[in-house]
Amino acid sequence: MTAISVSHLTFEYDDQLPTIEDATVNIPSSKFSLLVGPSGCGKSTLLKIIANLYPDFGGTISSGSVKIEPNQRVAMMFQDPSQQFTLDTPRHEIIFALENLRLDHDTIDQRIQDALNFCNIESLADRQFGTLSGGEKQKCALAVMIAMNSDIFLLDEPFASVDPQSRNQLIERLAVLKDQYNKTIVVTDHDLTGYEEVVDEMYRFDVIRHRIEHLSEDEKHKVLADHFSIHHVPVTLPSDQEHSVIELRNLQLTRGTTTLADIDSFNFYDQQITLITGQNGIGKSTLFSAIAKLFNYKGVITLNHTNIQKIRPAKYHQQIAMVFQEAASQFVDVTVNEELELSKKHRLSNYFSDQMINDALNSLGLSGFGERVVYSLSQGQQKKLQILLMLIISPSILLLDEPLTGLDEKSITGIFDILKKSCEAQHQTVIMISHQLTKLSQWVDHHVLFSNQTLTYQEVI
Amino acid sequence: MNPTIKLALILIASLEISFTYNLPANLLVILISVTYLFYHRIHGKTLAWLVIVPIIPAFGLFTTIYFFSSQHDLATASALFTRMYAYVFAGASFSLTTKPLDLAHSLEQNCHLPSKFAYGTLAAFNMLPKIKQTIVTIKSAAAMRGVNLSWWSPHLYFKAILVAINWSENLAMAMISHGFVEDQPRSAYELVQVKARDITWMVGLLIVLQVPIVWQIMN
Repeated sequence: MTAISVSHLTFEYDDQLPTIEDATVNIPSSKFSLLVGPSGCGKSTLLKIIANLYPDFGGTISSGSVKIEPNQRVAMMFQDPSQQFTLDTPRHEIIFALENLRLDHDTIDQRIQDALNFCNIESLADRQFGTLSGGEKQKCALAVMIAMNSDIFLLDEPFASVDPQSRNQLIERLAVLKDQYNKTIVVTDHDLTGYEEVVDEMYRFDVIRHRIEHLSEDEKHKVLADHFSIHHVPVTLPSDQEHSVIELRNLQLTRGTTTLADIDSFNFYDQQITLITGQNGIGKSTLFSAIAKLFNYKGVITLNHTNIQKIRPAKYHQQIAMVFQEAASQFVDVTVNEELELSKKHRLSNYFSDQMINDALNSLGLSGFGERVVYSLSQGQQKKLQILLMLIISPSILLLDEPLTGLDEKSITGIFDILKKSCEAQHQTVIMISHQLTKLSQWVDHHVLFSNQTLTYQEVI
Repeated sequence: MNPTIKLALILIASLEISFTYNLPANLLVILISVTYLFYHRIHGKTLAWLVIVPIIPAFGLFTTIYFFSSQHDLATASALFTRMYAYVFAGASFSLTTKPLDLAHSLEQNCHLPSKFAYGTLAAFNMLPKIKQTIVTIKSAAAMRGVNLSWWSPHLYFKAILVAINWSENLAMAMISHGFVEDQPRSAYELVQVKARDITWMVGLLIVLQVPIVWQIMN
């Protein structure tokens, strides 16, 4: 049986190139299907069309259709765990959902009990959502979907901020839903860890040929297995000659009741480009927030041997600047030109001449956008502009949180070319977090792995 | 007490004292509110805050009227002084004793307020801690670009609104995917009733409040 049949679907947001073009795919019922593809390929959009959220919430279907098997209830789990609940606790949220389905008091009680049981989250039922971790929230989201007795479970990159253990538990629960309750599971994900045993069908978005490929059994195994054999590139370990710039001593980071990091002693070195890797949700971004003085921690962080708590925020943020994951949070003005002017006004060195800025805009494909409102740029363009704006300011230390999100190969080369030259000329230190290892190996001096709540320098990427 | 009835009672009483300069009426509102708060076992610290916070504006009002107006009218000055406290205590006797979810349920069931208002507001209310965090992030992101956004900076709020618009869309999608359909009837897990006792209390307290007001008019 086909649960979801998408035929020749073309979907576009207003005044933009189609996000999905002539896509055809048939997703079978009672199977576990995995959709993969580069970011920005339209996976998320497709799921929202299937869930009947688009085009109500924007965009238009200009041709083709999406058909769902009759009498099947579709439910969706969203990427950001914290933006999918209306009420304050899991119990209230389930009640809200079941009241919407017009169930009576006793049925609701029964469904709550069963759903909480199935997800093993009885103990979370009356906790405030604000106190739960990403993984716990996603378990609650799953419980709501189960309580609603949904038939088709759509999960849009559901594990982006979930710790590996919860991730495995959730994947296991989804497999049980499929095997024992005949539910249809459709997941999109970048990270292919843990799917080998459970995935029945795999689909790949081919952005160049604009089609969705259904992988054969062999191809599927190859892709899932390939994931484990990453090609390692050697990198150097810090040498004795290097000077430490940021030192972490007895650093403890906690979120809710989970300890993210417990680091005895660790140094980041001056004038180096250091890459931090580690599994999703392990606390990399939180570590950056702590270094940027945006997150409360226990222990000591020093910058050039001064405790950062003793440096005033305004002064501190001139020396150490963070390129936030969300590009839009870094914009202050409205148009591209205004943003560039603002960065020039507050820059700490004149390394970036007007000529260099123009060249940079050209090489990043941003020339001619001067009067555009920054928020109307695509995600990739926003990211490139954001990094350039921070480079113009030229702080001595730059923290880059997932700087490659939404960028193609050419943009990455363009950005890192400018970054590397600036670092060498101005003796800057760069620390960054990224998942995309293979594309970065040529630009990076050191590699640090964040695992088991601590940081260690690695000899390979 | 039923949340809607409680809200109605407080709104009517507040409206009434705002049209009269009546010291006994204000004191009566304060007395009833404080009694109600004690009945709900208010913490001493919270009560102290309620007394301290309004003292500057209340005292400001008092001195303006008493020392700087042409009549040096003590009656009006003390009425304004106590009115400030009457508002604060009446408001607190609602907000400190009523959960937002109970109010939403009551407004939905007893007042037939469209559920999208009830739950939309509730969802926004539950976002407040995140909004606080976001404002901190926006401030730091700007600081790292050399721009100091102060609490009164329009830029800060422009950015916060942009973020909120994005959130509101995500929240709306989440509500819909949890089965919410605008203007469609829902069942009620817990029935919120308006009891005869609630009405009696409301009417009774309002009558008591009329005594000093009518007395003032008669004299």
